[in-house]
Amino acid sequence: MISNQAKKQIDVWVAKYPIGRQSSAVMEALKIVQAENENRLSADIIQAVADYLDMPSIAAQEVATFYENYNHKSVGKHTIRICHNISCMLNGADDLVKYLEKKLGVKTGKVTKNGLVNVKKVECLGACVGAPMFQIGEQYYENLTKQKIDEIVDNLK
Amino acid sequence: MADIEIEIDGNLVSAKAGEMLIAVTDREGISVPRFCYHKKLSVAANCRMCLVDVEGAPKPQPACSTPINEGMKVHTNNEKVKASQKAVMEFLLINHPLDCPICDQGGECELQDVAMDYGSDVSRFSEGKRVVVDGDIGPLIQTDMTRCIHCTRCVRFGAEIGGIMEMGGTGRGEDLKIEPFLAEGIQSELSGNMIDVCPVGALTSKPFRYELRTWQMNSVSNIARHDLTGSNIVTQTYKGRVKRIVAKDNDSVNETWISDRDRFSYEGLAHENRLLSPQIKVKGEWREVSWDEALEFAMRGLTDKVLNTGEANKLGALASNTATLEEFHLLQKLLREVGSENIDYRLNIKDLENTVTLESNIKLAGLEGVDHVLIIGSNPRLEQPMINHRLRKASLSGASIDVINVMAFDFNYQLNSENIVTPNQIAFMLAEVLKLILQASNAEIPEALSKIEASDTAKQLADRLLDADNSVIILGEHMVNNPQASSIAQLINEIAQQTNSTTLNISATANSMAGDLTEFVPGKKGLDANAMLATGLKAYILLDVYPHFDFHHPAQAIKALSKKDAFVISMNSFKDEAVAQYSDVMLPIASFYETSGSHINIEGKVQSFCASVSAPSDVKPAWKVLKVLADLLQLPGFHFANSMQVTSEISNQGHKQNVSNKKLDIKVKRSVNVIWQKSPYAVDALSRHASALQATKIGQMHSASMNKATAKKLEVAENDNYLGVPVSIRESVANNCVFVNTNKPIRGEL
Amino acid sequence: MNEVCFKNLDKKKCYSLKVYEQSGGYSIWRKILKGELTPEEIIDELKASGLRGRGGAGFPTGLKWSFMPRNASMQKYVVCNSDEGEPGTCKDRDILRYNPHAVIEGMAIGGFVMNASVGYNYIRGEFMEPFKRFEGALKEVYKAGLLGKNIGASGVSFDLHTHLGAGAYICGEETALLESIEGKKGQPRFKPPFPANVGLFGQPTTINNTESFASVPEILSQGGQWFADIGVENSGGCKLFSVTGHVQKPSNFEVPMGIPFKDLLEMAGGIKKGRKLKAVIPGGSSTPVLTAEVAMEMTMDYDGIEKAGSMLGAGSVIVMDDSTCMVATLTRLAHFYYDESCGQCTPCREGTGWLYRVLKRIMDGDGKADDIDLLLGVSDKIMGNTICALGDAAAMPVESFLRNFRPEFEYYIKHGKSMVKG
Ligand SMILES: Cc1cc2nc3c(=O)[nH]c(=O)nc-3n(C[C@H](O)[C@H](O)[C@H](O)COP(=O)(O)O)c2cc1C
Ligand code: SF4
Ligand code: FES
Repeated sequence: MISNQAKKQIDVWVAKYPIGRQSSAVMEALKIVQAENENRLSADIIQAVADYLDMPSIAAQEVATFYENYNHKSVGKHTIRICHNISCMLNGADDLVKYLEKKLGVKTGKVTKNGLVNVKKVECLGACVGAPMFQIGEQYYENLTKQKIDEIVDNLK
Repeated sequence: MADIEIEIDGNLVSAKAGEMLIAVTDREGISVPRFCYHKKLSVAANCRMCLVDVEGAPKPQPACSTPINEGMKVHTNNEKVKASQKAVMEFLLINHPLDCPICDQGGECELQDVAMDYGSDVSRFSEGKRVVVDGDIGPLIQTDMTRCIHCTRCVRFGAEIGGIMEMGGTGRGEDLKIEPFLAEGIQSELSGNMIDVCPVGALTSKPFRYELRTWQMNSVSNIARHDLTGSNIVTQTYKGRVKRIVAKDNDSVNETWISDRDRFSYEGLAHENRLLSPQIKVKGEWREVSWDEALEFAMRGLTDKVLNTGEANKLGALASNTATLEEFHLLQKLLREVGSENIDYRLNIKDLENTVTLESNIKLAGLEGVDHVLIIGSNPRLEQPMINHRLRKASLSGASIDVINVMAFDFNYQLNSENIVTPNQIAFMLAEVLKLILQASNAEIPEALSKIEASDTAKQLADRLLDADNSVIILGEHMVNNPQASSIAQLINEIAQQTNSTTLNISATANSMAGDLTEFVPGKKGLDANAMLATGLKAYILLDVYPHFDFHHPAQAIKALSKKDAFVISMNSFKDEAVAQYSDVMLPIASFYETSGSHINIEGKVQSFCASVSAPSDVKPAWKVLKVLADLLQLPGFHFANSMQVTSEISNQGHKQNVSNKKLDIKVKRSVNVIWQKSPYAVDALSRHASALQATKIGQMHSASMNKATAKKLEVAENDNYLGVPVSIRESVANNCVFVNTNKPIRGEL
Repeated sequence: MNEVCFKNLDKKKCYSLKVYEQSGGYSIWRKILKGELTPEEIIDELKASGLRGRGGAGFPTGLKWSFMPRNASMQKYVVCNSDEGEPGTCKDRDILRYNPHAVIEGMAIGGFVMNASVGYNYIRGEFMEPFKRFEGALKEVYKAGLLGKNIGASGVSFDLHTHLGAGAYICGEETALLESIEGKKGQPRFKPPFPANVGLFGQPTTINNTESFASVPEILSQGGQWFADIGVENSGGCKLFSVTGHVQKPSNFEVPMGIPFKDLLEMAGGIKKGRKLKAVIPGGSSTPVLTAEVAMEMTMDYDGIEKAGSMLGAGSVIVMDDSTCMVATLTRLAHFYYDESCGQCTPCREGTGWLYRVLKRIMDGDGKADDIDLLLGVSDKIMGNTICALGDAAAMPVESFLRNFRPEFEYYIKHGKSMVKG
């Protein structure tokens, strides 16, 4: 369930915390294992992570459902996380959401037919001076315009 | 801590510095509403219902999490407080279904009670209410999570008291949902307490579901008799039936908690398998008869077979360990009165010359305060859940716990060391420990120990006992049939004396302590259980005995009891085929909660109880049956009008277990040792008939565990049958050991 | 401008150890390692500087550091709060990206002062670029032998780790953040006990904002008085303001405290052409909104903003011009708090959803005449009754939007549409 590679990555995080506090690494462990499993978590995966970190499965489940960055349903290969909070909203984020939906032919929350992309409206991503903005993977894209969106989204593979 | 003075609603009150405000108001009888606070759980302060006004604080303060300070001035019911409490109540109710009329908690719901005082204006919420879909979390607890108010008492119960976090809060904000990891459901042995701690009807008893409204029921205090704690309970009854059991506070016994076994076994009372009318066997055919006829028949049988022939010594009495103190007493008195000393309740011991005799000399509450524990041969979590709870508390406050067991069990606290040892090596290991301890005090080393070379493990075990100021050594039921049982007990006794440790003997459970106290054991010329069956008596009186479960060798026992010339009187609560086979009379007796009597718990506390309900149809309390039988036999001294008179007759002499002084046997043998245990929810007839308990994971335990090497030696493989029990191969079992947990009426020769 | 956290902003590779050290970086830390500075001296300087916590609450940093039970022998921790999630706030991201060493040095100094040998920087999970920058910087300092155990045989130890969030605004609340480092849900703890007594892993802990830590080395280099003098009374030094919304050139500005709002607006290029200033939220989404008139008279310091009727918060200035529908804006903010409530305590869990639903209903054209009173009533019932300040943060905008722009709400309820033509 958890690859050796992933275990190694998890162990790096475990090492940051005092002995016996390995469950501190659960947030990263879930992310690492999620990345290996089509970007989503299942009960089995959560349990495996809990077992690996020697913590109650329900405690891992609590974490997996509390934080935004874990997926429990299928997502696209790329998730476009578009901020629609106040600074971005004032700079036209709502229009861009509509534009993206139209361009991709899917509503937010749904995955494109080819499984490549889904759009998710998110709260403030802390890049308000670059509003409007979105995030794909680790990358932030700021001062978005329709034209810029075309360039970025058309290049997603 | 020092006492300080604070002012509450204008009155001076003294309290301990650092105490939480709510503890003070509770003690003073000042009512502060609350949902998340529970005196035995950590403070969460999440419901915000207990907000009070503390002078000088800008915001209202939660009484449950505000430590008091000298000179503090508190108002618990001014306008500010009322406004806050009303606000919180309104928030709690907007998403609550308000389905009180169909809720099992109706009438004992903390939300309902408080809402009466504070709720108003609820109609202002016109948005749709939250609905939570429920999953199946197991056979014992019914969820209705739409009613949940997220107080997290159940979550904290699991993490803090149960020792395994089973419930959790998933999601966040409004979508916060209290649930278990559904793949696992709820499995712990104390889970039912979550029903008690839940202030609303979100967690209710599944077997009880929709049965009744609480105010329709009568509440009667009683004592649970499945184990050595004697937990205090309240039986809730309706029209003569037990409908539900809840815990009753008693800090020195079970605090606020009870085990699932104590809570749900009552279901067995209504099982179709109850024995409901007296029956006699005439020419091999069973006939239902009146009590008069049955007792007359029994009396005649006894007189014809043994009394008139001057063969009183051919009469024997055997009882199960669930009998009440009074039942034990009357039955042994009857026997001794007619001149027989053939009396025994120790049915499951193969070698009664080699028994565990060890005194318990520590109180339940005292267990919390020890700094070191050595457990030998026990899985306390499932065998003695409330004793285990005390040990867990000790562990949480820093006690170190060492274990010598034949198999690794799932402890819910940290172990210092878990030594998995072949049964045949335990005596030797303890001998090593004793030698080291004697050496440490430069005491003389007895001959038997002289040649021992102590191992590192033994050294560590010995060191911790020597270092501890307040240690306890616990001897559990797995040692009962150990070939060196009596030596093990002797060694423990000696180690305890040398190290100033207390001891706790939990090797015999249920009401065994009452069996000892009433001397329900053979007298000087009497025969013990094994000897009675081996010799073959002419008449027996059996008290609630179920041979397949109770005897260490059922086949042999049944054979002995079935002998043609043996006259057998059986008093039972439940029907049993084997009983029907060997008996001549079957007398239906009252079961748990249907009779009055007493239980003696591990600390020697006698707890008497009254019947919560009367027994069904023609069923009679055993003490009465014994009294009438004695009267029919014209024996003196049975003029009892009620069981209390019996209780007071029993001399409270404080029975002492005399430690055996047989020669120590510490030789390591190589044979395979079988430890045969009824699974936790099969310990007595009542539990075995409680369907919800039986459906749990613990109730389903049925396996013969052994390691690969042992399996090879015994030539069995996974899932094969060993003595009728499916084999489970696990390396967590010591070599040369088979650990059987069974819930079925099978048992081979051990 | 740009004297403290953004000191090296215009330099190439401003985030590197080299650039940082060239401008005097780690000189304080080296002094400490040489035993030339005492914790008491540092605390005195910090107190003199007037530095107040930059995470929002504005608690004096020197005083906070002095609360730690310094002499107790148990493990203690310093924690940096880089969770930056308050809508309108985006300054800590830039500090992590462009001046990570100032944060590291600030934390190390804090560790020394409070006798805490381990620190954690909690960086929000989305900040992968800043996270990598920070990790890169950590590598550099470890390599340079400036962190670790018994550093250069000085007897001083300090280890610093990052912890990444995973998407939850509430983890910016300091005790929720501690829970999160412990691998749990980010649910705030009730206080007392305070983190200075029972914090991370149950040990004494001090939490400060990224900007607070990053300001410390420069303050100690230049002297507390120097810093205090940059600002105004009660608001020492300079501060990062994130100016966003309807301005021509949104940006982060490090400017002296007490600067007039209208100057700051000008620095950000002013309002878009043809538009008029309508409203300002001066300190991030949780602080009360102000009307244009009031804002234009306001100075940007703790007292100045408070006098205007709001709070400095994290210095996140959200500017709205006359194309802004206040009903839609408040609805969006209400949605944020509803979405981000941890769900632990009753008023916030139940109340934030209620507020949002009523606003949403108004937006959908189904508003009722008494909805404004209802909104005010609900927010009043949340206010002050919760475990953490998120409850208040959710309530305050509602109250201030309705107080300042009530006619707009009444219009929307009556006509089922906005008064503003965007
Ligand atoms: C809901 C909520 C969110 C918060 N978010 C942040 C945050 O993102 N960053 C931050 O530094 N402080 C945040 N705070 C404030 C912190 O609780 C804490 O006061 C601060 O980190 C202390 O650092 P300082 O004294 O340096 O300001 C938040 C507080 C609340 C109640
Ligand atoms: S106010 Fe909200 S975020 Fe804060 S503890 Fe309560 S529920 Fe959680
Ligand atoms: S009882 Fe105090 S907050 Fe719940």
